[in-house]
Amino acid sequence: MTAFLQLAFNGLALGAAYALVALGFVLVLNATSAVNFAQGDLVMAGGYGAAALAALLPLPGLALLPLVMAAMAVLGLAVAALAYFPLMRRPASSVFISTIAVGLLLQNGALHLFGPEPRAAPPVLGGGQMHLGHVVLSYQSLAIVVIAAALVAGQRWLFAHTQLGRRMRATAQDREMAAALGIPVRTMIALTFALAAALAGASGALLSNQFFVTPTEGGALILKAYIAVVIGGWGSLEGAVLGALLIGVFETLVAAWFDYITAEALLYGVLLLILLGRPQGFYGEAAGRRA
Amino acid sequence: MTSAALAQPWRGLGARAPWAIAALALIAYAGFASPYELRVLAFAGTQVVLVLGYQFIFGHAGALSLAQGAFFGIGAYVTAVLGGRYGLGFLGTFPLSILIPLALAAIVAAPVLRLASHYFALATLGLAQLALLAAVNGGEFTGGALGLTGVPGIVLLGWTVPRGIAFAAVVWLVVAAGAWLSLRLTRGLTGRAYAVLRGDPLAASAIGLSEQHLRLAAFLLSAGYAGAAGALDAHILGVVSSETMAFSVMVACLAMTVIGGSTRLAGAFIGALLLTYLPEWLRSLEGYSLLAYGAALLLAIVLAPSGIAGAVAGTIAALGRVRRPVLPAPAELPEPQGPSGLPLLVVRGLAKRFGGIEALKGVDLTIDRGEILGVIGPNGSGKTTLANLVSGFVRPDGGTVILAGQSLTPLGASAIARAGIGRSFQHPALPPELSVLEMVALARASLSDDLGFRAALAGRDRGDRRERHEAEALHFLQVLDADGYARYPCNALPYRAAWRVEIARILALEPKLVILDEPAAGLNEAEQGELARSLRRLARRGLGLLVIEHNMPFLLPVADRVMVLDEGRVIASGKPEDIRRNPAVVAAYLGRRAGMS
Repeated sequence: MTAFLQLAFNGLALGAAYALVALGFVLVLNATSAVNFAQGDLVMAGGYGAAALAALLPLPGLALLPLVMAAMAVLGLAVAALAYFPLMRRPASSVFISTIAVGLLLQNGALHLFGPEPRAAPPVLGGGQMHLGHVVLSYQSLAIVVIAAALVAGQRWLFAHTQLGRRMRATAQDREMAAALGIPVRTMIALTFALAAALAGASGALLSNQFFVTPTEGGALILKAYIAVVIGGWGSLEGAVLGALLIGVFETLVAAWFDYITAEALLYGVLLLILLGRPQGFYGEAAGRRA
Repeated sequence: MTSAALAQPWRGLGARAPWAIAALALIAYAGFASPYELRVLAFAGTQVVLVLGYQFIFGHAGALSLAQGAFFGIGAYVTAVLGGRYGLGFLGTFPLSILIPLALAAIVAAPVLRLASHYFALATLGLAQLALLAAVNGGEFTGGALGLTGVPGIVLLGWTVPRGIAFAAVVWLVVAAGAWLSLRLTRGLTGRAYAVLRGDPLAASAIGLSEQHLRLAAFLLSAGYAGAAGALDAHILGVVSSETMAFSVMVACLAMTVIGGSTRLAGAFIGALLLTYLPEWLRSLEGYSLLAYGAALLLAIVLAPSGIAGAVAGTIAALGRVRRPVLPAPAELPEPQGPSGLPLLVVRGLAKRFGGIEALKGVDLTIDRGEILGVIGPNGSGKTTLANLVSGFVRPDGGTVILAGQSLTPLGASAIARAGIGRSFQHPALPPELSVLEMVALARASLSDDLGFRAALAGRDRGDRRERHEAEALHFLQVLDADGYARYPCNALPYRAAWRVEIARILALEPKLVILDEPAAGLNEAEQGELARSLRRLARRGLGLLVIEHNMPFLLPVADRVMVLDEGRVIASGKPEDIRRNPAVVAAYLGRRAGMS
């Protein structure tokens, strides 16, 4: 039982970091109906950003986090400017391809700047741990859970209670209607990219302490974000967060009982099963477009 | 060959001259190349084959598959395992390296092919990751992360093809065969069918093209080509490792296809050769080649969405070197005269819910031959849902649709279109590269067996057959007085012509029943009068018509009978003059729209 609780807690911490990735993925998906394939590589960039900043400024991780997120928001704006806005009126798959290109640039940029060796960012608070019964709660895992929860809550508050958030939501719901109401749609989309990149950056900074960061880890992360969104229901913010938590716990448990490879393979298998279980596919949406 | 080509033989040569020059240049280069250069040349050939295959699914079918790299890797592993471990010769391993990826593609096609755009992309990426995991963790069978060494060279009937020029020649013979096949499959009507599919899958179904069949055929071909490319790659390198299946292979393939051009044969050569040789030429940038790939891919997708080949073709077209095709003489087809008054369409208990909303709650209706049934109702009353269910674009939750005694309930949209129900769309998204004549000819061809890769292979989707379909298409355009628009691009029709072309397109499928969704929208009174006369004429031919319309002054005089829907239910049905006075109808509909008639 203790072992199970321990694994579940570790999985929850991992899932909390995934939740930030998935949340950013859905925010952009809703705002643009396009997949930002570079979302996983932005996590990687956040991890390297945190590691690089730590080398310059001897501050604890908690103090570095806002700096990393701010820098990542700027990077998110650059992604929007380079890979989204020029393709706004083209089929959604164009943005998919352009963000694959951005991912390639980020990966190889990181490879040239930092080399292929894994890097780690400093812990958020410190390396200590506390005990809850026989379960060991490392400060870092606790911090991941708390910070991710705070960021998810912050995003919800932003969307529910601020004028800016309401405008971002209106843009995601119906761009033309939002524009007709005088909402600066392009600015809102750019800000959505910035927010998504900041969340990815936070996730990267938090993950890279325990799991290290390498230039090519983005591919697996974007797939997990996607699976989380499939599990949670397309377009649902809460669903994506829940799906990500489930994936984190599932992965940790299966990896402990079997191995990490089995966990990955099962996860992709589950994805295909879910797709198989939706006999109408997503064409219902396409046909509904005409109604 | 057409008579025009016979009279001006240099015209045919004009199109082929660049290819002949390129082939000669390639042979000349190979004659002087060093062993290393020949190896690079052979590798470039594998990339051309990989991209030629990817053009089917990504270019022609318009589906972003991210499994092409995995199929390449699987082909390589099949050659390495069967050739290296079991000593099978090239004539055994090469066909199997094509067939096994193709069979795997056929197995996974069912769950993933129905998915739209990015759902499909991510699902295929998931498959590719599974294949990669299997390769890395396949133990002795796949050689694990280190891979398999000792892949034999190419042995043909006991002759070991020596490394160097003979080896490159074998690879490029495969390239030539692949290019020939690709050209044969995509140059005729079948290639045009794919243009409609990637423009709008619904428009493709409406002219009787089966979206599933087209997508499946393209997916299988792309997997087979990728397997062939992977097998050749394994022979060149002599080793196969998980690198062969890494995502970078997929990204390189995507970059080559986007940069070269995703639907033109020349695009595969330009993209593959450019991205293979660019790193060779830019040795000083070693290590930065993937950065350059990323930048080039981003630039291409933003600045030249149809690739270098597309940009060149566009420039040539703009310079006016391409002639407008001569219109064929319209075919003489008899005007069908059907019997009137017999029951044609019988719909019973048709129901559909979307989520928690019951859009249609058990609708019954019949339409006789030669009868025009008008369907009216407030917005959201289920009119378009009714049209979508009867024409098969949305699957019903309950109820039956029987046309002339044949149950249509189990059929999909394209099969129903061929079985006799034609329908119009309010805003069809038709591809700009297709002319009106070509689109209507496709509808004609979908009734025959002159469409699809099998027909293309047999040469049935071009030449005389195509001319016949175009001549017949022109006949239907003429019936609607729309033959003047035959050469217009599909997506650039004025309102006053669009309805004529839509109906001509429907008639080309020789329907028994025609469903029109708000045909009078955007027309002035004179044009509405012409539309009404055309509809009466179709009814006199024995066709049944189901016309959804808001415009009462247009609909009530033309309809024989009117059915009123409200909240998914039929609330009244009868002669137009009775409907006008029916109190329930007035309350539900007419009353809410003061000054309607």
